[in-house]
Amino acid sequence: MIDDEPLVTIRNLRFFRGDRVIFDGVDIDIPRGKVTAIMGPSGTGKTTLLKLIGGQLRPAAGTIQVDGERVDRLGTRDLYRLRMRMGMLFQSGALLTDIPVFENVAYPIREHTGLPESLIRKLVLLKLEAVGLRGARDLMPHELSGGMARRVALARAIALDPMMIMYDEPFTGQDPISMGVLVKLIRALNDASRLTSIVVSHDVREAAQIADYIYIISNGKVIEHGAPDAMMSSSSEWTAQFMNGLADGPVPFHFPAPGLEQDLMGES
Amino acid sequence: MLEQLARLGRIGIGSLEQLGRGHLLLLYMLAGISELFTRPRLLLNQLFSVGVLSVLIVAISGTFVGMVLGLQGYYILSQFGAEQTLGVMVAASLVRELGPVVTALLFAGRAGSALTAEIGLMKATEQLSGLEMMAVNPVKRILTPRFLAGFVAMPLLAAMFSALGVLGGYFVGVGLLGVDDGAFWSQMQTKIDLYDDVLNGVIKSLVFGFVCTWIALFQGYGSAPTSEGVSRATTRTVVHSSFAVLGLDFILTALMFGE
Repeated sequence: MIDDEPLVTIRNLRFFRGDRVIFDGVDIDIPRGKVTAIMGPSGTGKTTLLKLIGGQLRPAAGTIQVDGERVDRLGTRDLYRLRMRMGMLFQSGALLTDIPVFENVAYPIREHTGLPESLIRKLVLLKLEAVGLRGARDLMPHELSGGMARRVALARAIALDPMMIMYDEPFTGQDPISMGVLVKLIRALNDASRLTSIVVSHDVREAAQIADYIYIISNGKVIEHGAPDAMMSSSSEWTAQFMNGLADGPVPFHFPAPGLEQDLMGES
Repeated sequence: MLEQLARLGRIGIGSLEQLGRGHLLLLYMLAGISELFTRPRLLLNQLFSVGVLSVLIVAISGTFVGMVLGLQGYYILSQFGAEQTLGVMVAASLVRELGPVVTALLFAGRAGSALTAEIGLMKATEQLSGLEMMAVNPVKRILTPRFLAGFVAMPLLAAMFSALGVLGGYFVGVGLLGVDDGAFWSQMQTKIDLYDDVLNGVIKSLVFGFVCTWIALFQGYGSAPTSEGVSRATTRTVVHSSFAVLGLDFILTALMFGE
């Protein structure tokens, strides 16, 4: 394994949902040990991209390589083996609702290792400590706030010490405090455990704050990529509109429609 | 005309596709059974929620159905002076038909719908996806134990239904209407055959347990991950299971009791 080789390499990715083109020739490199943000307007298939990297969906064309393995070609057994080294934080947290926090974090450890109970307990408590929720171990998922549920899910995602974590919209619907906590956690986890992180988000400020590198996707293509500073001062009108959240620009405020006067005066 | 033909074709292809998916899911579920031997807890938990929690509704229904059989049977049989054979009539109808069939219908309504809703909501809240990304196969870990639990629980529930039904019939016939106690039991003992009646009833309920649980899990697993999708899938579970049980009952009866 060469350290400066990207952990994830995507080449000429094409993916369709029915007749709709989601990705049309996307190339992405995710460097090892860095936080890479993948940004773009809602509905551009950012979550789909994570599912493609995790092998839950298969591309129509193109290649997806994770740590040297072709995810798009792996059989079920190899795919599951590879997934043990990947963590994913779902937008909803995706905690199992019928077992308490402790058991949720212990779940992947119990499934994949034969460790004795005393060791599992220590591991789980350490993981919960890392996200600041050691005291919440006996709560049920429905007793957690949205931000807490996401942190428990994060503890579960790092339970098996994966090589990478994929975050699906980690900042959506969070209050400023839990947003700050998550931003800090993602960065801290990445640096402390030498993880590779992929953050899919449309929260420009937060994503730019933690990312080492940013990809912007829209209409099935990579529009631009580069370091956060370069993106913020991008000369591209589109990127400037997206990064600064302007209402009008290359992405028009109005959905395509006939002229207003014509519409108002015309017959229904 | 051509458009209608095309629509018909689409419906046909869609149904075949569903059928194919259903069978694939069944294969995957069956492939996971061996893993249950190393984790019997998974099965026990599901036996509780699918089986034990259905006991009350099955027990109450069984008793009342038996009581009604006792009442109706007595009125008809007494017209021919044959009221002493009431025990045979009650037991035969319960063990052969009503036990397996009504239990399966109750099971579809009580446990089947719950299974569909549970799996559908797990899908809608990304719990199944989450398991996949934890390298845990959701079919083996979540669906297989539920499938096996339904298969095992159904004959037990049907046996309980029939047993309590016989007691209900006994209570009405012997207790209230004055049929002879000894005749009730001895006639039943001579006329009800272990293989022809009891075993065939058990086979029926095994088939119904298999089909009802399969339908419930397939509908839940294939439901659209929205609240509307889950509600539709739950309805489909009850409707499809009921049709399947009634249709299969006719076929099985014809095979078992036909000349």
